[in-house]
Amino acid sequence: MRRRAFVVKWPLERLSARSLGTSNVAKQAADTSDIGNLSTRPPACPAQGQRSRSTHAVASVLESLGPAVKSWDEVPGPKPLPLLGNTWRFIPYIGGYSVEHVDQVCLSLRKQYGKCVKMAGLLGRPDMLFVFDAGEVERVFRGEDAAPHRPSMPSLNYYKHELRKDFFGAEKHCAGVIAVHGDSWAAFRTKVSRVALSTGAAAQYTEQVGEVADAFVNRVREIRNSESETPSDFLNEVHKWSLESLGLIALDTRLGCFESREGSESQRLIDAVNTFFLCVGELELRAPWWRIYPTTMFKKYVAALDTILSVTLSHVERALQECRDNDSKSLLQDLVAAAGPRVAAVTALDMFLVGIDTTSNAVASTLYQLSQRPDVQDKLYKEISSVLKGRPLRAGDVAQMPYLKACIKEVLRMYPVVIGNGRQLTKDTIICGYNIPKGTQVIFQHYVMANSEEYFSKASEFRPERWLQRSTYKHHAFASLPFGFGKRMCLGRRFAELEMQIVICKMVNSFKMEYHHEPLEYHVHPMYTPNGPIRIKLIDR
Amino acid sequence: MFYKNILISFFKSRSSYLRTYNGVITTFGNYRSVLPLSTTRLALKDEKVKVTFNLYDGRKIEAEGKVGDTLLDVVVNNDLDIDGYGACEGTVTCSTCHVVFKQEDFDRLAEEAGDEERDMLDLAYGLTDTSRLGCQVTLTKELDGLEVKVPESVNDARS
Ligand code: HEM
Ligand code: FES
Repeated sequence: MRRRAFVVKWPLERLSARSLGTSNVAKQAADTSDIGNLSTRPPACPAQGQRSRSTHAVASVLESLGPAVKSWDEVPGPKPLPLLGNTWRFIPYIGGYSVEHVDQVCLSLRKQYGKCVKMAGLLGRPDMLFVFDAGEVERVFRGEDAAPHRPSMPSLNYYKHELRKDFFGAEKHCAGVIAVHGDSWAAFRTKVSRVALSTGAAAQYTEQVGEVADAFVNRVREIRNSESETPSDFLNEVHKWSLESLGLIALDTRLGCFESREGSESQRLIDAVNTFFLCVGELELRAPWWRIYPTTMFKKYVAALDTILSVTLSHVERALQECRDNDSKSLLQDLVAAAGPRVAAVTALDMFLVGIDTTSNAVASTLYQLSQRPDVQDKLYKEISSVLKGRPLRAGDVAQMPYLKACIKEVLRMYPVVIGNGRQLTKDTIICGYNIPKGTQVIFQHYVMANSEEYFSKASEFRPERWLQRSTYKHHAFASLPFGFGKRMCLGRRFAELEMQIVICKMVNSFKMEYHHEPLEYHVHPMYTPNGPIRIKLIDR
Repeated sequence: MFYKNILISFFKSRSSYLRTYNGVITTFGNYRSVLPLSTTRLALKDEKVKVTFNLYDGRKIEAEGKVGDTLLDVVVNNDLDIDGYGACEGTVTCSTCHVVFKQEDFDRLAEEAGDEERDMLDLAYGLTDTSRLGCQVTLTKELDGLEVKVPESVNDARS
């Protein structure tokens, strides 16, 4: 079988712009513009030279009806060239903008053009608006309608809605939440979010997730090299931990990733998830030939998705069986009971697509940051010891560890694994004083905002204390939103947080971590993650 | 082919499972609010609690809920006209169910805000020291006659 041909390693070089927020989707969403009177207004108010929040402050000279609104054409930004648009800027060496360093590109756009920047003329994509103003991000989020539209990957769109529409379209509103929009999204999300996001939904997994974390700790203890350092493919081990944890949550199954063998089901799943990551970047970034004929890459991609789907389905079946035999509680069984087996299976698929590399990169990044901060580790260790007092971790324990949570928040503020989130506007919307047309992809630049002195005091310093209650540090809550916000917020947030808290807790409790190499730069890959081997010295406590 | 087979067997078996499982569990509310209260609920079925919502635009809405209901339940079950309230249906992702208590009421709420709620309160518009998320506050008998303020901007302040 072809799947065997793939190597079991997560690719080190994943060239891709796939991030939950920045990639593209074919135009859709057609509801009425509810501020239609705007379009009949004069395009610009010449008396007004201010941007940003000026719409609050400056009354229009021309109109007494409301604040002056400038037109879309006036939004500053790099000018597209005739024919070439702006896509050329991302061509290596010539363009000056690098996809791996979109973080730097965004920082410099902010410096050059201000708090809202237009990226027009991207070939085959709707125009984009980059927003660097947390107040405006807040307004867009608060103004969301019943079905916020987050741009997604066209290749996945195609898989769900064309290639396998017999499955995803067989029942009404059963296509999932990733690459699904409008009523279909809303109907599906309602069915699953109560089960997945209710407070306490995750805590029931504390002990099981803890067992996986223990297995991870044992594994890294074994694979340390002669210098007691983690091997250079450490991230791959973290991926295995992430997949194992998610298998537990989404499929009620210990996949056995740490000791998986060639040909086993878990190995096929690992391979498939690997292949999916590898391909999605290629497919999204290069010319979309797959739209015309199935390229080799595209075939691999489809095969990988098919594998993930079929493995998922078979586990759902087994869980159904067990559900009848005993009445244990789990996410999968709750989903089946609440919304039926198909919804449960599709939810599990979606979770596999976005829940693995996000979590693993966040953990790798956190461990790397902690390894450079012995004082923070000491504080953490004290907090953990005072809660556990030598006994194993139980449900509810992490709730007593505010500093642990604060450390994770601080890492995700400075190094958010998803550097920007976005919405495709479902109606004309005023942002930073400009009338932004429906269909525009608005990208919230959380990486830039969360690292700006304007929204966080001592923004460039790692200060977990800022997240503790009654801290005196200034912060803007909408500048750093690692999991998004509102009706479309990350569906796996409760699980992701639990997984991270537990594994970091166990690592700190088991080792003193040190880092003795050149500092690593971060890059967009497509998660925002340290670039290079994460070689952490692990000293047993 | 593997994929096809799985799909077929899945389709075949599905309907019987559905029949078995429909009706086993009908409520899927908040674990916290449903589980601990499910036993007391029957006994206290008739315990009504009166709540008044004072809206930012000056309107006053009175409604009745049952012991064990959340404030969001009260709004939804009585179909109260509060624009945009409870957008995420109690899944603690939106903060549109933000309410402000009087200090003495705040102090006698049965449970303090959990971590998820506190994270989301941080994003609430016009946060105060006695703010809570309505979807996380359950009614107790002692709260009968409760008055809460519903602050502005559950929806876009500018539209
Ligand atoms: C550190 C780990 C994670 C981060 C930083 C993260 C971040 C995000 C972000 C920013 C979004 C977009 C939210 C929005 O549009 O407002 C999202 C969506 C989503 N996430 Fe996560 N995520 C993580 C882990 C997970 C895990 C473990 C799962 C599955 C168990 C998961 C499942 C999902 C799903 C299904 C969506 C789509 C929700 C929808 O469109 O309705 N995520 N995530
Ligand atoms: S209803 Fe969304 S947070 Fe309470």
